[in-house]
Amino acid sequence: MDNPIFLLSFIVFAPAVGALILVFFPKGNADVIRLFTLAVTIVVFIVTALLTIPGFWDNSFDTSLTAMQDTFRLPWVPTFDIEYFMGIDGISFPLVVLTAFICVLAMGASWSVTKHVKGYCILFLLLETGMLGVFMALDFFLFYVFWEVMLLPMYFLIGVWGGSRKEYAAIKFFLYTLVGSVLMLIAILMLYFNSDLTQLGAEQLIAANIIEQPDGTSADEAFTQWLKSEDLLAEKFNAKKDDPSQMLHTFNVLALQQMGQHTSLFDDFGTDAESSLPVKLLGGGPQHWAFLLLFIGFVIKVPSVPFHTWLPDAHVEAPTPISMILAGILLKMGGYGIIRMCYPICPAAGYSLAWLVCTVGVVSMVYGAFAALAQKDFKRLVAYSSVSHMGYVVLGLGVWNVAAITNSDYWNMGVQGAMFQMIAHGISSAGMFFLVGVVYDRVHHRNLDEFGGLFGKMPLYTGLSVVIFFAALGLPGLCGFIGEVFVVLSVWNYSMVLAVISAAVVILTAGYILWTIQRVYLGADYRGPHEEELTPINSREILIAAPLVFFAILFGVYPKIVLQYMEPTIDRQVTELVEWQKDMESRKISGALLPEMDVGRLQTEQRFDDIEERDNNLSLFDERTRRKLQPD
Amino acid sequence: MDPNLWLPALLGIAVLLPLFSFSTIVVCGPAMGRGGKLAGYWATLCIALSFAFSMLAFVLWVNQHPPQESHHGGSHEVAEADVHFDHAAERAGDEHHDDDPEHHHAEGRHEHHADDERDHDHHDVVPITPCVGYWYRLGQFGSLHLDIGYYIDSLTVCMFCMVTLIAMCIHFYALGYMHEELDDVTDHEVTLQDGSHLHRPGRFHRFFQYMSLFSFSMLGLVVSGNLAMTFAFWELVGICSYFLIGFYVERKSASTAANKAFIVNRIGDFGMIIGLMAIWTGLGTLDFGDVPRTDGQGQVVTDEQGDTIYEAGIFSLVRPSDADYVLVIPDGMVQLAARAEVDQIVRDHVNHDDILAASHSEIASRTDDWRKDRYGYWLMFVAGVGIFCGCVGKSAQFPLHTWLPDAMEGPTPVSALVHSATMVAAGVFLVGRFYAFFLPEVLLVIAIVGCITLFLAATIAITATDIKRVLAYSTISQLGYMMLALGVGGWLAGMLHLFTHAFFKSLLFLCSGSVIHAVHTNEMTEMGGLRKKMPWTAYTMLIGCLAIAGAGIPLLIGFSGYYSKDYILEQIFSFWRHTPANATLGVTFFCFAAGGAAITAFYMFRLWFMTFAGSPRDPARYEHAHESPPVMYLPLVVLAVFAVGVAWKPFFIDVNLENLLEAARPMGTAATVTGQLIGTEWPNEHLAHHAENYEAVVVPVTLIAFLTSLCGFFLAVLFYGWRSLDPSDVRRQFRPIYRLLLNKWWFDELYDFLFVRPTLLLSRIVAGIDKRWIDWLVDSTASLTTSLSRWGDRWIDNGIVDGLANLTARWTCNVGLSFRRVQTGRLRQYVMFIVLGTVAIFILITWTRSLAG
Repeated sequence: MDNPIFLLSFIVFAPAVGALILVFFPKGNADVIRLFTLAVTIVVFIVTALLTIPGFWDNSFDTSLTAMQDTFRLPWVPTFDIEYFMGIDGISFPLVVLTAFICVLAMGASWSVTKHVKGYCILFLLLETGMLGVFMALDFFLFYVFWEVMLLPMYFLIGVWGGSRKEYAAIKFFLYTLVGSVLMLIAILMLYFNSDLTQLGAEQLIAANIIEQPDGTSADEAFTQWLKSEDLLAEKFNAKKDDPSQMLHTFNVLALQQMGQHTSLFDDFGTDAESSLPVKLLGGGPQHWAFLLLFIGFVIKVPSVPFHTWLPDAHVEAPTPISMILAGILLKMGGYGIIRMCYPICPAAGYSLAWLVCTVGVVSMVYGAFAALAQKDFKRLVAYSSVSHMGYVVLGLGVWNVAAITNSDYWNMGVQGAMFQMIAHGISSAGMFFLVGVVYDRVHHRNLDEFGGLFGKMPLYTGLSVVIFFAALGLPGLCGFIGEVFVVLSVWNYSMVLAVISAAVVILTAGYILWTIQRVYLGADYRGPHEEELTPINSREILIAAPLVFFAILFGVYPKIVLQYMEPTIDRQVTELVEWQKDMESRKISGALLPEMDVGRLQTEQRFDDIEERDNNLSLFDERTRRKLQPD
Repeated sequence: MDPNLWLPALLGIAVLLPLFSFSTIVVCGPAMGRGGKLAGYWATLCIALSFAFSMLAFVLWVNQHPPQESHHGGSHEVAEADVHFDHAAERAGDEHHDDDPEHHHAEGRHEHHADDERDHDHHDVVPITPCVGYWYRLGQFGSLHLDIGYYIDSLTVCMFCMVTLIAMCIHFYALGYMHEELDDVTDHEVTLQDGSHLHRPGRFHRFFQYMSLFSFSMLGLVVSGNLAMTFAFWELVGICSYFLIGFYVERKSASTAANKAFIVNRIGDFGMIIGLMAIWTGLGTLDFGDVPRTDGQGQVVTDEQGDTIYEAGIFSLVRPSDADYVLVIPDGMVQLAARAEVDQIVRDHVNHDDILAASHSEIASRTDDWRKDRYGYWLMFVAGVGIFCGCVGKSAQFPLHTWLPDAMEGPTPVSALVHSATMVAAGVFLVGRFYAFFLPEVLLVIAIVGCITLFLAATIAITATDIKRVLAYSTISQLGYMMLALGVGGWLAGMLHLFTHAFFKSLLFLCSGSVIHAVHTNEMTEMGGLRKKMPWTAYTMLIGCLAIAGAGIPLLIGFSGYYSKDYILEQIFSFWRHTPANATLGVTFFCFAAGGAAITAFYMFRLWFMTFAGSPRDPARYEHAHESPPVMYLPLVVLAVFAVGVAWKPFFIDVNLENLLEAARPMGTAATVTGQLIGTEWPNEHLAHHAENYEAVVVPVTLIAFLTSLCGFFLAVLFYGWRSLDPSDVRRQFRPIYRLLLNKWWFDELYDFLFVRPTLLLSRIVAGIDKRWIDWLVDSTASLTTSLSRWGDRWIDNGIVDGLANLTARWTCNVGLSFRRVQTGRLRQYVMFIVLGTVAIFILITWTRSLAG
């Protein structure tokens, strides 16, 4: 496993290969099929888990590195510069492990699925491949392909194995996500056709993993060596670097990030031939549009208000294990996309649209919590709680303002909080859906008003549920607390109003969670049908719930165990973006490269005048204050 | 041995022991003996060990910092302080003449400063450095970090001893009280659907499991070294309280009360989070004290001389030692409030080479000007009030007091430990701990809230007939006293009352539990005459009543409550008489406090007489009653001893509660301060108890306190002891007031109407928006698309596309038919066609070539 190509490809494609093998399995023996599938997910999980141990393999995740690790690039469709390019860093790696972990548990929970077991398992494994691929792909096209690969199995898993309104829910899920994908595709193409590798310098090409820098050589030496090499890309580079009319496009996410931060490629759609003014679309350059389209695409997945209504339906109809995956992993792709694609590739847009990101986050938090309070269906309630909790993620990612120039720690904290919240929510929401499923398997209803008294009938189950629900409530000592506190504490620095609103959500959260616990677990009587079916939780179910409870406690008590993987990468990304921000602000001051580039020379001069005037005003102001403060 | 290493270790073990007990009971609770009996012993053993470790830490601390005689009552001279009130009043009067706002404005801080200087006696006090550090780090964000840490001073140590001692007594007591839970229980308060009573297995071990978790959380809260950790444990004690209130999970009333307690507390926590956010953003730290700086590997960083570098905590940021510990608005707060200006400066410096240094120096140079313009002042106010909001929730102060009476649904030992002695006092503890941070304006808020609470709760306690509810309202009222004391500048008075109250109130609750255990009802109207049946309980409870009423021989000696209550009243009196500007507020506070003392004595003795004196009201219950077993009444005796003597000051040794607490007083709070926004002045607490003010303050206040309590006591005797007055006459006479009090001022109904219903309505609206609008939009888009495509299917596909295809087909067919005529079978004709075709193609190609060329 010392070769990253083999290692990462194994993680991603092992489930797909498993699915392929499953095709040849005889249909009859459901248990063998399930066990085989479970074995595949366990193998994948073990491999990712071993990666967390430093030094276990040469390619084990190294927490001291901030950059992308275990990367490899292979040409895939050379005509369009599409590559088979993957790698992991502190942002994606925890999510990869989470994915593999939740998949094992979800497969364990799949014993309750009895219909077309073979088809179910095949789709399940394909889904896992898609999800893992999304987190590891570093080529934007490859990312898109995995994104779509995951969509179809999900559609069928809801549509075939779902509840009474499964077709509606599946179509709704599909259409929502498809709209997101289409927007994303437009954004990807927009970025692709505006990208130009030849604009990048040697260090940036190294950062983009295009040039390898052997030890002991300088960046420039590596660059010249690379130009002389046989590399396909280098030849193209040579051909196009001296001709300004020729652009060398790329899907390389890291290269796109470098372009977004170090060049003005994404600021406008070329220059108008006649007026020599930069071309904009409704006042926005490619990066504004790409940011917006990507953001909508990802936010549909998160999901945030107002793009969230697919989630309750999908959850209510999906079978338990699919709900676990949906809440535990799928939603995280949205957050991952925002942090990996939106911000680093389109920093200017991210910076100027921070208010939008934060508002979407806060609105989702409040709206989801209120909606959860009104639900009568157990799964719907948990689904809305997911909307509310994922709002923290969006909010934490967005708290970026001018103050970050002198002190970026608060934004750093917000991003770390958001990342931690993704992991924590992966644990707690998957747990909640599983626990709802346990009782649904017994009594076949989810009406909150027809439960009660489970405490007496299923004591161990109640104990596990209470821990998981309290983790979602954000109780200290459990995983939900850390993410929420980090995010909430970072917000005041961005906006006081949003901070106060986001703090108020703790009341609503306590309200709906405690009320749910009261209605379902406490009380003397069970008020619904099939009372005789309420048997204590069995050992398979304990085996699934117990690890979730364990990690909910572990992460809550010692968050460092997760944060140590994320912190270096997040530090680096935040620092880079703040460097960009300083650069941008200084260009803005000198008037050289305003982000609103649709200014003619006249306007630029006007701006210089403005600045002078403002400086005069400032000194006047100073004078006045000084006079005022001097005692007469 | 180095106390700085040993203290955290000892207290750390004391904190973790109950957690250990909790974990073991969780894992193997039911297996521990019959009905989990061993779990009870195990938990009790752990808390006893925890007490032993706390005592060790106490000894270690006292050994290291021997307490000194404080300024209170001693002949010690308060340097140049205006110890006479007449002077103080004149001085304040003078100041009011030149009330030029502009002048005041510009020199606000300096004046403030000068004022403090005058009464400041820090020169005689060698600051006792608390033992500060951290165990491990939760998160690191650049230079910011959140830790699990500790802040140990004599307050921490005393709290540890108090909490573990009371918890230990209550654990012992609960071994007896909860014995019914060892076997299967029939809960007569729960009626099932089929009409029978609930029959369930006992939950003995579960009770001790929660108690252990609670002890852990409470100790963690006390030891915590920063606000974030305080908040975490704050929530944890809250959840333990939730579990314990809802211990009888089958009772709807219990689970509702548990929910109410937690949610109302969360409302307070909402305020607390706001405070946390403001402090975190303004100061960049939540640590109380100065923590040694560490590098990435956890090694302590030292400077060239090898001295440890400290990172300033909140206390030293708001009260820097080089400013004589006077409260200043820290730079960070000022700059946060002046955000617009700061951002502008940063933008202006952004193209400097060293942007940070350049902008920092300009920001620093302008910070003092901003501070003079009161930038950051309101932010400090918001932060202070925010933190106080958390305390309001936890300590059940008005307007969040409604949860505590309902919390009496839990078993009585819980009420004694959680809902009177420790957890609810945590709010007061936090105000005391964080006292250095509060602006005078925040103190005013605290005082007003405390004053309203103490009166409100006391009045409700008069009419309550449920024995535990009387005690619950009494608890709220006493916590109000503490808040009022803290709010008028009486740090020591408030903290002292926290300790004395913990002992006598837990004693009172345990006694009431013993009664309930004997007669199986909470209603005092069904009790009476019990003192003959249960003497231990009756007389220990009498001690409790005397202690809470503040009984004593004036100016000589008394029960513990006598000292703390007198301190509180003295400070309020001192506050009232300090300046004319204080008069209105001060006299209100004093009247409410003194009146409250009378009411306290009244309802406490009402309780005692109704329960223990006279003839039995319910003979059946009386017959059944019996004294509790020794495991229950021995803890009562222990607590009674402390309720009597915990505040005594033996003349032969300096180790007494007052001196110990005084040693923990936050630096700079023994000073006279004036608010910037209001004219009120807070007198130095030492003035109130100073020897020179013995006649001016101590004597009159002590006598007033004594007389008011006596009034209350005699009223109770008249109504319930001798029964020479009939309470029902009074009830008829003051019917509206009686109804108001009986319905607890209609707070529950009001809140239900104002908050609960609108929230539920809003939630239904939100859910409706999802269904009716968003989903309608999605669904109708879908159906629109479907009908569009159906339309398209009919018109475009059937009409145009298919039409075209059919047309082409028909045309081809026609052409084919017409060509049929050409196929004549004659070779000559074919050759001619070929030639003509070739020529045509040739011409076509040439033509296109010429076009392309």
